[in-house]
Amino acid sequence: MAIRNVREIGEEVLTKKCKAVVEMTPRIRELIEDMLDTMYEANGVGLAAPQVGILKRIVVIDVTGDDPHILINPRIVESSGEQIGPEACLSVPGKSGTVKRPNYVKAVALDVNMNEYELEGTELLARAICHELDHLEGQLYVDKLEEPLEDLEEEED
Amino acid sequence: MKKADNIREIVLNTLLALEQEGDYSHKLIKAVLDKYSYWEERDRAFLKRVTEGTLERQLELDYYLNSYSRVSVGKMRPLIRCLMRMSVYQILYMDGIPDSAVCNEACKLAAKRGFQSLKGYVNGVLRKISREKEQLPLPDENGETVQYFSVKYSMPEWLVELWLGEYGWKITATLLRGLMEIHPVSMRFVSTLSQTERESWCERIRKQGAELTQSRYLPYVYFLRQWGAWEGPAALPGFEDGMCTVQDVSSALAVEAAGIKMGDFVMDVCAAPGGKSILAGEKAGTGRVLARDISEAKVTLIEENIRRMKGKNIETEVFDAAQFCPGLEGKADVVLLDVPCSGLGVIGKKRDIKYRITKEKMEGLCRLQKQIARTCAGYVKSGGILLYSTCTIHSEENEGMVRFFIDELGMEPVSLEETLPEAVLAQKKLLEADLRSAGKAPMVKLTEEESAACIQLLPGYMEADGFFIARFRRR
Repeated sequence: MAIRNVREIGEEVLTKKCKAVVEMTPRIRELIEDMLDTMYEANGVGLAAPQVGILKRIVVIDVTGDDPHILINPRIVESSGEQIGPEACLSVPGKSGTVKRPNYVKAVALDVNMNEYELEGTELLARAICHELDHLEGQLYVDKLEEPLEDLEEEED
Repeated sequence: MKKADNIREIVLNTLLALEQEGDYSHKLIKAVLDKYSYWEERDRAFLKRVTEGTLERQLELDYYLNSYSRVSVGKMRPLIRCLMRMSVYQILYMDGIPDSAVCNEACKLAAKRGFQSLKGYVNGVLRKISREKEQLPLPDENGETVQYFSVKYSMPEWLVELWLGEYGWKITATLLRGLMEIHPVSMRFVSTLSQTERESWCERIRKQGAELTQSRYLPYVYFLRQWGAWEGPAALPGFEDGMCTVQDVSSALAVEAAGIKMGDFVMDVCAAPGGKSILAGEKAGTGRVLARDISEAKVTLIEENIRRMKGKNIETEVFDAAQFCPGLEGKADVVLLDVPCSGLGVIGKKRDIKYRITKEKMEGLCRLQKQIARTCAGYVKSGGILLYSTCTIHSEENEGMVRFFIDELGMEPVSLEETLPEAVLAQKKLLEADLRSAGKAPMVKLTEEESAACIQLLPGYMEADGFFIARFRRR
C-alpha cells in the first residue's frame, strides 16, 4: 500500500493525452493498487493515472466506498440524458463547480486481467466516469463549467 | 473526482423548497433521499433528521430566535430564516455535533449563498443560543398556558386552544407529548396467518437487525423500530411476499370495530391506500369487498397493495364517494367510511399538517364529510353496519358527526364493546375518567349509549395515531 503524490492544476502532466495499456505488468498492478489507496485516502470517488503523474489510460472509481471499479483503456460507448450539478477534483483542491454531464453512460474497459467488460452508471457514477475519462484526454472539469468556480467547504472530520 | 455536495446546503435547499413551493415534507424528503441514494447512510440519516426535526420544532425554534435576534424570524430573508432554524435545531437536539461546528458551517453557508455581510449576525445569534441553551426563555406555564404549550410542543396556538377547550390542560399535555414522541412503524401481518407462521416471519425480520414488538391491541400488528435499511420496510423479508404491510394499528382497529363476518359484502368508499379494504377482504373470506376512491392514482395505489397482499375478493373502482350510485342502494352488509379529514391525528408522521390546516379548511371538510355520509349511508342494507372513521382529533369532525348520523340520518348507534379488544376499551375508559376529573363536559353531548358506539384514540394514551371510530346500524 502506498499513497502517491496527487498532481495539481497547473502541472503539465494533467494536460497530456494518455497512452493505452498494452499488457498487464506487476508495475501496473502496483500502480492500480496505489491509485485505489490514494483515492480512498483523499476521500475521492475517482482517480485517473495522470493525476499521480502516469500518462496511462487507467482509471479507478468508487462512488459508494465499497464498490471499486478499475477501468483500463476505457471508452464511453453510450450516453443519454443530462445532469447539471457540482463536481470537484483532487487535482483542483478546495474548489467546486457546476458541470453538465449525461445522466447515463455505458463504458467498455479492460479489468486488471485485461478482460473486456461493460460498466453502466447513472447520476454520480455516470458523472465520475465522464470526469475521469476526461483526465485521460488531458482535460479538467474547470474548462467545462456552467457557472464560476466556487470554494469547496471541507468537512471538518 | 471528489464529491462536491455539501450536506448542510442540501438540507437548507430542502427547507427553502418546502417554504417556497409548498410541497409536502414527507414527499419532498423522500425525493431528496432518492436523488442522493449514493450517499453514505450516515449522511442520509443526518438529512432526514435535521429536515424533519427543524420542521417539527419550528415554532419552538422561532421563539428562541425571536428572543435573541434583533430581526424577527418573519422579517428574515427566507434563506437566512431556514439556515437559522436548522442550526438552532442542531444545537438543541443533536448532541453528536459540537455547537461550534454548527456555527461555523452556518457562517460558511451564509457567505457562500451571498450573505457574506450577515456572517457576524449568524455567528452572534447562534453562539448566544448555544451558550445559554440550558436556560432558554419559555412563555410562563401558568400565566400564558396556551403560548407555553404552543412553543414547547411547536403547535399553532389555535390548535392548542381547540384541544384545551375540549380536553383541559392535563389531557392536552399528554396528547401534545404523544404527538412529539418517536413513532415506530406499525406493521400489520395477514390476519389469517397462524401465530406460528407469523412468528417465523417475525424471526426472519429480526435477523435483519430490526426490533419488532407485538402491539398490545391486536396480535397481528407489530411495532417496528430501527431496521437499518433505508429502503424502508419494503425491503424486509415477507413484505414483497405479501405477508405484512405498513398500516397503523388504528386503521386495523377500525376494520375490527366493524365486526365483518365471513361472506359479507363490504364497501370501502374512500379506500386508498387500501389497508382497510385488504384487511376487510381477509375477514369477509368468501364474501367480497368493493374498494373505491376518487382518482385513478389512488386506485392504482390500492391495486398495487392488493396485488402484493394477494387479496382475491377485492374489486376496485374509481368513484367519488360524494356521488350516489343507485345500483348499490341497500346492498352492503358493511360500509367503511374513512372520510377526508383534517388529519390532526397523524401530525407526528406528517409534520407540516399542523402549520397548513386552517379553521376554514376544517369547516370545508365538515361539509364534505356530511355530504359523503348522507350519500354512503344509503348503501347499507337494513340491519347492516356503517363504520365511520377519521384520523383526526376534532370533535366537530368526530362526535359532531355521530350526532349527524343519529339525528339527521336516523342511524342506530352500536356499542364497540363486542368488537374492540379489551386493551383498547381500557384506553377509552381511562380517557373518559380523565375528562371527568378535568371537569370537562364534552363539546358534543352524547348519551351513554351513543358514546359506547364511538372511540377517540389519542396519542399519549395509546401507541397509535390519533383516530376516531364510530359504529352504526341502519334500521
